[in-house]
Amino acid sequence: MTAAAGRLGAGALRGRVVAPRPPLRLVVVGLAIGLLAITPLAYLVVRALDVEAGALELLARPRTLSVVGGTVLLAGLVAFGTVAIGAPLAWLTTRTDLPGRRAWATLAVVPLAIPSYVTAFAFVAAFGPRGALQGMLEPFGVTRLPEVYGLAGAALVLTLAAYPYVLLATRAALLRSDPSIEEAARLLGDRRRDVLRRVTVPILLPAIAAGGLLAVLYALSDFGAVSLLQFDSLARAIHVQYRASFDRSLAAVLALLLVGLALAVALVEGRIRRRAAAFAVGGLRRPAATVALGPWRWPAIAFCASVVALALVVPVATVTVWLVRGLAQGAQIDVVVEDAVATFGVAAAAALAAVVLAVPVAVLAARHPSTVSRTVGRLVDIGYGLPGIVVALAVVFLATRVVPVLYQTLILLVLVYAIRFLPLASGTLRGTLVGLGTRFEEAGRTLGDSPAVAFRRVTVPLLRPALVAGGALVFLTVAKELPMALLLGPIGFTTLATEIWDAASAGFYARAAGPAAILLVLSAATVALLVRAEDRSR
Amino acid sequence: MTAVALLSGVARRYGPVAAVDGVDLELRAGEMLTVLGPSGCGKTTLLRLIAGLEAPDAGTIEIRGRRVAGPGASIPPERRRVGMVFQDHALFPHLTVAENVAYGLRRDPDRAVRVAELLDLVGLAADARQMPHRLSGGMAQRVAVARALAPKPDVILLDEPFSSLDAALRTQLRGDVREILRAAGASAILVTHDQDEALTLGDRMAVMVRGRILQVDAPEVVYGEPADPFVATFVGVANLVHGECRDGIATTRLGPVRLIGQARGHAGRALVVVRPEHLELAEAPDGPADGGAWRIIGRRFTGTEILLEVAAADGERLWSEAGPAGRHLRIGDAVRVVRRDVETVAFATGRPIPGPVPADAEATDTEATDADGGAVRVTGVPSGPPAGAGSSRDRTDPGRST
Repeated sequence: MTAAAGRLGAGALRGRVVAPRPPLRLVVVGLAIGLLAITPLAYLVVRALDVEAGALELLARPRTLSVVGGTVLLAGLVAFGTVAIGAPLAWLTTRTDLPGRRAWATLAVVPLAIPSYVTAFAFVAAFGPRGALQGMLEPFGVTRLPEVYGLAGAALVLTLAAYPYVLLATRAALLRSDPSIEEAARLLGDRRRDVLRRVTVPILLPAIAAGGLLAVLYALSDFGAVSLLQFDSLARAIHVQYRASFDRSLAAVLALLLVGLALAVALVEGRIRRRAAAFAVGGLRRPAATVALGPWRWPAIAFCASVVALALVVPVATVTVWLVRGLAQGAQIDVVVEDAVATFGVAAAAALAAVVLAVPVAVLAARHPSTVSRTVGRLVDIGYGLPGIVVALAVVFLATRVVPVLYQTLILLVLVYAIRFLPLASGTLRGTLVGLGTRFEEAGRTLGDSPAVAFRRVTVPLLRPALVAGGALVFLTVAKELPMALLLGPIGFTTLATEIWDAASAGFYARAAGPAAILLVLSAATVALLVRAEDRSR
Repeated sequence: MTAVALLSGVARRYGPVAAVDGVDLELRAGEMLTVLGPSGCGKTTLLRLIAGLEAPDAGTIEIRGRRVAGPGASIPPERRRVGMVFQDHALFPHLTVAENVAYGLRRDPDRAVRVAELLDLVGLAADARQMPHRLSGGMAQRVAVARALAPKPDVILLDEPFSSLDAALRTQLRGDVREILRAAGASAILVTHDQDEALTLGDRMAVMVRGRILQVDAPEVVYGEPADPFVATFVGVANLVHGECRDGIATTRLGPVRLIGQARGHAGRALVVVRPEHLELAEAPDGPADGGAWRIIGRRFTGTEILLEVAAADGERLWSEAGPAGRHLRIGDAVRVVRRDVETVAFATGRPIPGPVPADAEATDTEATDADGGAVRVTGVPSGPPAGAGSSRDRTDPGRST
């Protein structure tokens, strides 16, 4: 650690802001958290390196190639679908006189918070072989519906779960773009539709692409939906491989492959996002003129209504239908209550731990900008960006080899959750700390407090809203998390998510409906929380 | 002198607010017409109406004899042959400098030549391939001008084009842009809230308040013969002093003043415009006994002149140039106000003094109190520089004389 401290001094000098040298304890804690965050990835690399058959040989197997091909195809379809839905929705809800455009925008964002496996479960339970729709149509002689399983179903469900990324990115770009740019194009001889083609779309393109790539990342990392819809993307193949085989090296290689894909997409996304930022030219803003849709408003409303119907109404309605059926058949409510208690307990513990760990990371980033703090920030971000199934697998390997005492304990699960989802809490904390500055603490110092005491007596109370908000976000995210709960939970431990996954996989739709209903309510809470945070940041 | 653009009775309301309220305006070929007005006076709306970005509620707009807005005509902006330089430049962020300039030249076979020509004109030939976000404010400004000029529009509109630049750059670019527009032979309307800009750049200038144009004239005429008391105090510093007019002479407490313009025909009581440069101060060693009924209460250096504010026993206040004898005067000294031999204008009283409704904190301080022959003070913020009301923010030279 002395070496780290030495480098720290140099980093602080190089940093543009002359920041007070961070206390050594803070640096040690921050680096420890950052290293823990990427330990799964590091271990996976080590593990893949000593695959006996040779990693390259495993990669070249036809099975591996077909899984990779399928994953790329799925990602491509999701990219196309999310852009085709998200970009027009963004334009309709910001630049036109679409009736109820604010309501459409809000409703269309909600699916972002619904776990993909809940939507997948809903689609299976609604349109699957023994689903609600088929049941209703049976009297009319309909015995088969189009297949919901496989690539088409997975692409549809993931598109419906991830298009809000494109919607939000495009909306933000539309709202901050300067309308005089489009007016300038009119004055230079363009008709309205020329302006859309020559100016509006090119300016929005980076934002649309960035949103589309976030959707691709979502699709790559998704485990729940592809599992329930039985499509062999990398995430599912990793799990199948892990469960089925004694040699788990192939799982490790596949996991690294997935990380590589995700990393490549994330790098491109970051690049495009910087380009989008360069396009966000400032200046005096006047609200952009609204385009009168005229008779086109009917197809526009139909479009918005279909999106909301598929992405929001189908999950909610299906879950409700099966919930009612289940209650009528005398479902075991106590099981659901048990799952809910277990889920909320783990989520609350993880949220608490994440907030505690987020404080040093946020203080380091806000108060002591330096190479060290930036490195710590990047490490925890990488940990957050890793697909859940990859982290779960790596932690299983690691725990069985290194700390078998912790393997399949709740302590390990909570710790992994806390470190992985820490950026959700540290982001808001850092923003609040930067906003507060050091003047309140300095006032405390002049009144006789030591630095640590002033931080505790002055800053921590001021941080409370941010701590609560960050903790709530971690809580809601953990409560909906599936792959890590599945792989790392103790034997016999079930959460709402694993219960839905188990029941839906086995075709017990009524049993899955109770937990799904609870998670839908939590999803609504997530959206409300995010909307409130966004309002406050304005 | 043919009219390139002609506005007749143009009006535009936003709900209860008349942003543009019956404006008649003529832009002559090859001239730069500046429109000066406080923020919120409707000058930007005026430009947007000419450009076709807004439609008037009443009145007509003609460009080169063709009606583009008004009863029976609504030509969209892309077919008006009007170029516009936006306040924040509005360069296309996804196109290079050269592509920005070429944007309006889609159907021009010689566009490469035209773009090169314009980039030369604005001195950016070396930066043709730069992206807009890499440009400095001044460079972005030049690109915006070149882009607007490229399709050879009939009219160029400039909407506060220098307001987003810092002071030093602003002064330099003003001169440059004026040269560029002159070299291109463009007819242009520039709106601004900065009276220096309006005075120095305009071949003619219009003063606009609350959606109405109060005066259109050469800048020196607007300054020397303001059309009404508001213009007098808005453009430059002016004292409004009560006087009695007869036979082209106004008798004031400062002595007789010769009148010019329409004011020569006035008879009876009037407000006489007395600029600080019409006055100078002399010592009155014996105080009031020496006729020194004025006492110095304020002092401002404008960069070229020292202006002193003096108050009479009855409360009347005046801004005056210090004059050669006045350099060593101090606040509190008793002085005599000496009237130089000048001609000025006067406005018959008995009608209310027009003034802008204060749109912001810096708006005019209009206290049109009228006592028995006492002065009416329309201008000046006692604690601020002796600037014309409502425009003090960007004034660099309030004591200008023309």
